[in-house]
Amino acid sequence: MRVGIPTEVHPGERRVAATPDTVTKLIKMGFEVSVQAGAGQGAHLEDVAFEAAGATLVSDADALWASADLIIKIRAPETCPDTGVQETDRLREGGWLICLLQPATNGPLVERLAARKSTVVALDQVPRISRAQKMDVLSSMANIAGYRAVIEAANNFGGFFAGQITAAGRTRPAQVMVIGAGVAGLAAIAAARGLGAEVRAFDVRLAAKEQVESLGARFLELEFESDETGETKGGYAKIMSKEFIDAEMALFKQQAAEVDIIITTALIPGKQAPVLITEEMVEILKSGSVVVDLAAEQGGNCAYTEPDRKIEVSGVTIIGYTDLTSRLATHASQLFGTNLFNLMSDMCGEDPGTLVIDMEDEVVRKALIVKDGIVTWPPPPDPETALARAPTDEAPKPVTPPPGDASIKAKTSKDPSRWPGIIGLLAAVGMVWLGMQDGASDFVQHLTVFVLSCIVGWQVIWNVKPALHTPLMSVTNAISGIIVVGGLLQVGSIKAASVSEEMHSLAVVLGAIAILVASINIAGGFLVTHRMLAMFRK
Amino acid sequence: MLQGFEGLNPSELVVPYLVAGVLFIFSLGGLSSQETARKGNWLGIIGMVIAVVATLLHKDVGITEWLVGSMVIGCVIGAVLATRVVMTGMPQLVAILHSFVGLAAVLVGIATHVNPKEGENLLPIEHTIHHVEVWLGVAIGAITFTGSVIAWAKLRGSLSGKPLLLPGRHLLNAVITLLILGGMVVYNAGTLAPEDQLLLLVGQSVLSGLLGIHLVMAIGGADMPVVVSLLNSYSGWAAAAAGFMLGNDLLIVTGALVGSSGAILSYIMCEAMNRSIWNVVFGGFGTGDSKGPSGPAAGPQGDITESSAQQVQERLADAKRVIIVPGYGMAVARAQHLVNDLTRLLTDGGCEVRYAIHPVAGRLPGHMNVLLAEAGVPYDIVLEMEEINDDFPETDVVLVIGANDIVNPGAQTDTNSPIYGMPVCEVWKAGVVVVLKRGMGAGYAGVANPLFFHDNTWMLFGDARESIQSLVGELKG
Repeated sequence: MRVGIPTEVHPGERRVAATPDTVTKLIKMGFEVSVQAGAGQGAHLEDVAFEAAGATLVSDADALWASADLIIKIRAPETCPDTGVQETDRLREGGWLICLLQPATNGPLVERLAARKSTVVALDQVPRISRAQKMDVLSSMANIAGYRAVIEAANNFGGFFAGQITAAGRTRPAQVMVIGAGVAGLAAIAAARGLGAEVRAFDVRLAAKEQVESLGARFLELEFESDETGETKGGYAKIMSKEFIDAEMALFKQQAAEVDIIITTALIPGKQAPVLITEEMVEILKSGSVVVDLAAEQGGNCAYTEPDRKIEVSGVTIIGYTDLTSRLATHASQLFGTNLFNLMSDMCGEDPGTLVIDMEDEVVRKALIVKDGIVTWPPPPDPETALARAPTDEAPKPVTPPPGDASIKAKTSKDPSRWPGIIGLLAAVGMVWLGMQDGASDFVQHLTVFVLSCIVGWQVIWNVKPALHTPLMSVTNAISGIIVVGGLLQVGSIKAASVSEEMHSLAVVLGAIAILVASINIAGGFLVTHRMLAMFRK
Repeated sequence: MLQGFEGLNPSELVVPYLVAGVLFIFSLGGLSSQETARKGNWLGIIGMVIAVVATLLHKDVGITEWLVGSMVIGCVIGAVLATRVVMTGMPQLVAILHSFVGLAAVLVGIATHVNPKEGENLLPIEHTIHHVEVWLGVAIGAITFTGSVIAWAKLRGSLSGKPLLLPGRHLLNAVITLLILGGMVVYNAGTLAPEDQLLLLVGQSVLSGLLGIHLVMAIGGADMPVVVSLLNSYSGWAAAAAGFMLGNDLLIVTGALVGSSGAILSYIMCEAMNRSIWNVVFGGFGTGDSKGPSGPAAGPQGDITESSAQQVQERLADAKRVIIVPGYGMAVARAQHLVNDLTRLLTDGGCEVRYAIHPVAGRLPGHMNVLLAEAGVPYDIVLEMEEINDDFPETDVVLVIGANDIVNPGAQTDTNSPIYGMPVCEVWKAGVVVVLKRGMGAGYAGVANPLFFHDNTWMLFGDARESIQSLVGELKG
């Protein structure tokens, strides 16, 4: 496959989707690479370096797009501001595209790409799972934005960040408040600490406290009685209750009187950014303070924020740049390129230099937007863990006795898709036949209970964590001691007329032993489980 | 008993039994996370108390000294066993508890045979159903009983962990199974005198017991996690079978829950070893059934790097990220507490320490987690193999403590290896892998491990406990 790397057309965009380093790696994997001349200029990556890495230089954007099977770039395709050409129209029929896309807000663009029978992977849709960390462009870019936000703040602040004691007197260290301790927030904390400032940080997710403190910052806590936690499944923040927000606002207002720099990074996926720094708070801020708003693109966390601009309101500088990553273009390109390369090597096919779409791969499935002209976004929601982990051949339980053997046979037979069906059918026929016989209705009813219980058990047990498998075994040991009921019914039974005296005593003795051993199970099983569970601590 | 209270009718027992059954389901559901697990255990206890009390109130059950006596003695024995057991001995305890369920099922089955319920005018088909239920219940119970006893003996080390492979063992299993099924037909025919019928039932329980012994004897030590889960499953099916013969829905429900639980665990364990259940139960690992180079002699050769505790300590002192991969060897050496001390020392020094747990590490599903929990290792740094496998390349030092097959790179590269295709912890991708091991012997699977010959692998020979002790000493000093 030929990979094409065009120059970004977005005004002010200085990053590029590959570096000479990743180009070398791509070529090693069997790809051919074309780079548009000047693509790396903004990031100070020279054309000669790309050429030395083995890429072909193409001077014309149209020629580059036309020759490549796969285009990798930073931003979603857009209309070139100078020529008025739609980038989408340059994409080859049936071509591939990997870039940032924001499909949730870019519906028409996705439609246009689909019309070109293309295959599109959106880097921003790569799921946040540990395996995909090395492909997570959003985290890489957030890290850079957080760092750069501190640099911008320092640049516009009229003082030292670190406190100084000089012959001419002493200066206080800058007081920095970071709101939102995600990747960007943590990077900002680290950078500000590195410059010597005193940093405090706030996040709705209490889990962030440890991370904030590990970087040497103070975590601000709300004086608010609630067990509400602002974390969603993917580790992102969610919208909080009104009481929570009121308490939060009171905290910020109080902090505003103390701090010199505020860096806000509060974003809620797919929503307008919450306004956390109101007009009133800007009034409270000391003259000369700086607010850097990393949420500017989504409306801003500060009431005055204007995207892409630096403004001054009553002596407070409010920075709403949205191109912070481009202001660190060299390293941003390097990290972006590496993330992109990792994703491509994850998608690599059997033949060198080809990509394949593996719908079973969670990362690829989530990030895939269009496949051969068919829109596949949004991906199907995560099936319940139980169902996802249950193998597909575990259809309703085979019911032929002995049940133990049958269930295992169904699991491991050569052709897993057919056997459970056949066994199930036979069992159903058998049950119908039995049900028609006089006197077998009791049995059929018990069988129904049995089958349903197997299914319930199957669903429940898949949720058990592997770490708890030993306690699971001991607790099932204990509850299978329920067989004590069988012993009780025998020992306590009143002798029937048809049963001889000796036989009845025999049954009593056997029953008593059964009670004995079953009781060992009950007491032993529950107690040892209790002991084990008491040991698990966080 | 209350005056005038004659006990509950079977129909009145439905409600307490239903409540107990639901509590058991919640109990197992509670085990889905550490936070709710303790509550789950209590729900199980409450369910059990309800079930037993309700049964005692059954109008056909008279409370006798036999009944109270055996129950009290049983509970005392169980409590003593549970309090005394050390966590490294959990596999044995679990195995022996399985055998008790099997034994109880056999006894209840025979007792049901000799003491049928009064006033039953059974139709022929009901007779047949009842006979089949008793017969199969006794058979499953007996297999569970003797199989678990053998598993217990193997886990204790009273019996060798090596598989016993009789010639023609598949034929033997088949013949016994046929005999058991043939016996059922005779048993049901009704032509035998009652004494002979009882004798036949006892005879088949002995035969089933032999089958259980033979099946488990043929299974090697490394497959014990599967066998224990399988027997867990059997003990459930035995309880369910007892429920069928007594017509007791609570027993059926509970047995089915336990049976499914064991079946799932067996499935997970087999997946983790990339083998089918048949291969485990009938295979006899690393023997005639699997062709290819067997025995360490045929394995890779080369130079190994032997290291000292001091060298390892120096490396650990510089490390930022450490992953510990424990195996059965850690359990045998009872080194978990020292491993925790080591973890603390490293963490205090600013190092990130995490654990990677392979699904079949140890002799019981989840065995390692229990041992580490006992030692006080926080469970949030103990990760499953799948969660952590991608992090090895960014790891400075990996400590492999008493594990072998689960870190064997041959499982990914050597198509001739008997464990080819089994998912393994990719420790070799880390900066340095330190393997704590007693000697150069192969693991349970009998497969040589090319990991030991990698350039970045350091061997630290000796008893795991002593090795870690000296590491801890070096780090403190």
